[in-house]
Amino acid sequence: MAYTTFSTLSNDAMKEPMFFGNPVNVARYDQQKFEVFEKLIEKQLSFFWRPEEIDVSRDRIDFLNLPDHEQHIFISNLKYQTLLDSIQGRSPNMALLPIVSLPELETWIETWAFSETIHSRSYTHILRNLFTDPNEVFEDIVNNDEIQKRATDISFYYDGLIHAVQFMQLHGLEQDSVPYVNLEGNPEKLTLRDIKKKLYLCVCSINALEAIRFYVSFACSFAFAERDLLEGNAKIIKLIARDEALHLNSTQQMLNLWADGKDDPEMAEIAIECFAEGRAIFLKAAEQEKEWAQYLFKDGSMIGLNEEILCQYVEYIANQRMQAIGYEAPFTVKSNPIPWINHWLVSDNVQVAPQEAEISSYLVGQINSTVDSEDLSSFEL
Amino acid sequence: MSSKLTYNGQQYTLDEEATLLENLEKQAVSVEFHCRDGHCGACRSQLVSGEVDYSTFPMAYLKDGEILLCCSKSKKDITIKSL
Repeated sequence: MAYTTFSTLSNDAMKEPMFFGNPVNVARYDQQKFEVFEKLIEKQLSFFWRPEEIDVSRDRIDFLNLPDHEQHIFISNLKYQTLLDSIQGRSPNMALLPIVSLPELETWIETWAFSETIHSRSYTHILRNLFTDPNEVFEDIVNNDEIQKRATDISFYYDGLIHAVQFMQLHGLEQDSVPYVNLEGNPEKLTLRDIKKKLYLCVCSINALEAIRFYVSFACSFAFAERDLLEGNAKIIKLIARDEALHLNSTQQMLNLWADGKDDPEMAEIAIECFAEGRAIFLKAAEQEKEWAQYLFKDGSMIGLNEEILCQYVEYIANQRMQAIGYEAPFTVKSNPIPWINHWLVSDNVQVAPQEAEISSYLVGQINSTVDSEDLSSFEL
Repeated sequence: MSSKLTYNGQQYTLDEEATLLENLEKQAVSVEFHCRDGHCGACRSQLVSGEVDYSTFPMAYLKDGEILLCCSKSKKDITIKSL
């Protein structure tokens, strides 16, 4: 079961499951088992941007003029976003690439994680501009208890999966000579099905991260910009949000494909078996985000957003995301408490500089291969 | 006679050139949306009868009978409802 960078086994990728089949050998994209991952790659590439394209120089003045409690909200939020993208910039590669079996999905994972590294770079871009020495802010990300609580919860599922897969690929699953000792130091009987369960729960946790946790912090960033403050930051967050919509789509696809039995049949069974555990992951993420809202607004609210409204938004977005993967909506909130956020989440009118509206549809599919002479019939010279 | 768009039992006129989401918004019906580009899935709805043409590949995961309002148009009478 050792990982190989190029398997010489001739296999048909169209017949492979998403994960735990044969390792990918030929990186070919002329055919796809799941076309959506190819479309996601194309879309993500067309969305490419660099933090330096966005001018954040005005933000420093805005930031210095904020009262202390609003500075706390802004900086804490930025620290949390930095943490989330630090994890996401490496973890999908580390956890998912060793076990992926479809070329389009493999490339999607790489494209996805790469775009997260752009996000991380943009936080440095923002912080460098706000502080002469951003060191203190970065250091607090590892020392701050509130951020730590979340970090351990997010990395728990990734680490468990990575550890089990590494064991499997090094020792195989016989476990007669080398027994498996899990991350907590306890012996654990490991079967392929157990590792698949870890994968299922890990993808649930990734989805909760990208579909709920990120959006709570986006709401804060956009709330400042609604007051015409820290607009450079909001422009960057808008680009990040546009990317995140693609990322969360991909984990929704995986979860739905498994649950609907369109991929590995064993994963369909696991989806049913782990239904309650998966649900608990989302509920815990929502609970933690509410606690985070409490921490953000501990010294006072800001205009347009307070703890109560942000908590309602957590519940609203959790409902939406859980319904998208086949769970019942757990909360009673029916409508979006901050409807203005939708205008920040529209993909096509993301504008970097005032003179260049970046319309993504210009970039994808600009070549029409089905033009025939009929299309030019009204043409006169 | 122009085509009709029925949403949650209520009848509206249908502009064939506009997306279903734009059609509803123009008639003051508030519908969920985020990306307006077919990948976030916020505007997923149930197709009761009729058919839709997509102007862009609908990337969000759709179960049987579900459609995305933001990137679909219709040329004929269509009935949809919210999820």
